[in-house]
Amino acid sequence: MNVIIIDDELLARRLTREYLSHHADINIIGECENGLQAVTAIAELNPDLVFLDIHMPKMSGLEVLDVTGRKSGVIFTTAYDEYALKAFELHAVDYLLKPFSQERFDAALNQARHLLSLGQQLTSAQSNKIDQLIRHQQIDRIAIRDRGQMHFIAIEKIDYIEAQDDYIMIHSEGKSILKTQALSDIETQLDPQKFIRIHRSYVINLAQLNRIERVTKDSVLAILNSGKQLPISRSGYERLKPLFNNSTAH
Amino acid sequence: MHPLISDKRKLASTILVWLLLGVLTAKFMVLANLAVWETALQFSLPVVVVFGFIACSAFYVCTALPINKRRVIPTIIVFLFASVFAGGTWLALCLCWSSLASTMGWWSIQLSEHTNTLLFSAGFCCYLISLLLHDVLIAGDNVRKAELNAAKSSIVAREAELQMLRAQINPHFLFNSLNSISALTTIDGAAARAMTISLAQFFRQSLALSTQETIPLNQEIALCTSFLEVEKTRFGSKLQHEFSIEEIAQTVLIPPMLLQPLIENAIKHGIRDLSDGGVIKVEVFTRDKWLHIAIRNPCEHTPSNAIGNGLGLTNIKQRLINIYANQARIRWDKTSSDFVVEITLPLHYEAQPLEATS
Repeated sequence: MNVIIIDDELLARRLTREYLSHHADINIIGECENGLQAVTAIAELNPDLVFLDIHMPKMSGLEVLDVTGRKSGVIFTTAYDEYALKAFELHAVDYLLKPFSQERFDAALNQARHLLSLGQQLTSAQSNKIDQLIRHQQIDRIAIRDRGQMHFIAIEKIDYIEAQDDYIMIHSEGKSILKTQALSDIETQLDPQKFIRIHRSYVINLAQLNRIERVTKDSVLAILNSGKQLPISRSGYERLKPLFNNSTAH
Repeated sequence: MHPLISDKRKLASTILVWLLLGVLTAKFMVLANLAVWETALQFSLPVVVVFGFIACSAFYVCTALPINKRRVIPTIIVFLFASVFAGGTWLALCLCWSSLASTMGWWSIQLSEHTNTLLFSAGFCCYLISLLLHDVLIAGDNVRKAELNAAKSSIVAREAELQMLRAQINPHFLFNSLNSISALTTIDGAAARAMTISLAQFFRQSLALSTQETIPLNQEIALCTSFLEVEKTRFGSKLQHEFSIEEIAQTVLIPPMLLQPLIENAIKHGIRDLSDGGVIKVEVFTRDKWLHIAIRNPCEHTPSNAIGNGLGLTNIKQRLINIYANQARIRWDKTSSDFVVEITLPLHYEAQPLEATS
């Protein structure tokens, strides 16, 4: 079984290596000390199993999974993180709490082996869990991998997000970038106080909304600070209305 | 219960005041040629003491109308009505007492229409004065209670702050350190032991310092050094530091745990993100009446993904406001390659001279 170890602390990687040395079937094919290396390594080496630290420089463990689309064959390791732990419990995802014992480590490893041996059928259940785990994290930036380059967009810099088939187009500071994700998925990751879905195909950043204009009886437009005009659907208008109740917009 | 009656010593002094008033009443009666001294005293002392208790009922009138909820006209009406009632009671008391005395043949005083009006007016005025005095008394009491509450809440606030300081010992740091020790036990036993000792030393220092209101800067620097020692075992040569502390600044008093969280931030949001690591620079110097602290670390340009970014700084800012009001200043700035936190505090030195330092 091919394994890579992702952790920014040398000693933590050494420890995982030591614990793995008791298992003859394990072949360690890589070690990464930050999220960027991890993305490349996962994409290029396609390991069977990844030991993944949640808190890492440059990119978090969950961002790495999000960007690489890896949804199974992952054992999370973390020292302490209230939010992540709650999410793990909620989605019944296995994880190792540092410092962990050889016994606990072996149990997690055997569980992972078991899931891998079951093949497609049960790993899809596992992948759903991880998928939901990622989707339920509130984020403050979006990570995108585009032709081997990583891009990070701070949430507050986003103008609006547009749905395009299976992709979303993120518009920010005059630039647009494509990401493989459903609009409804990213919507759940954004703060509902700051981002509103105004249309089946559009989520806007309220901070960038300049005004709302009624063009005809049935058509309302959102005008952004950039001058961009976006259609507002009936249900989108219902979602926007409470925000304008106290202002002059009618 | 009435505050003057519930306390024995206060009750005694209150009765004394009433007796004096009784003597004063007798004196007036003597001056008005109503009676001779002996008769006047026999008449006045018992009725004044009884009326004294009646006058105390003003306390209940006042508490029934809390000062902060009063409206002018209803209050005046209630006060006047109560005073008229009290004046009438007082007059009735006087009349009953004097008629009882004359029936029993103890003494007798001739009370005319004129004296009755005077007695009524005196009773009315006394009760009104009693009402106003009670108001003053209650207001003073309220002020004292408010002061007590303020003192209590400042104690609570301080407790909360200490709680916060202790909680600031990051569990993430603790568990990661323990994990490093766990790894070192098989790789390098001596290093594992050294790290255990640095970790213990850091915790011991932080517990000792966090119970104090202010500490000399050099103690905080020692705490930061222990912290960095532990972190250097985790991060290796990636993490370096340069402290440049002006000699005269060493003994300046600062709130405990002011710099350590900033060093922690510099690692968490700065050095850790950089593949080649970097140097944390701490510079402390004094100018005029001010202590200047600057903490500088290299950092990445991309938006950070670290949870709680900036929250620690806002907490420190709030802490400084609580301690120094507008006398202290903290500002932070992120350039494309550096993060800087600058703090300015008023210069305070320890009261006792340098003998204590070794």
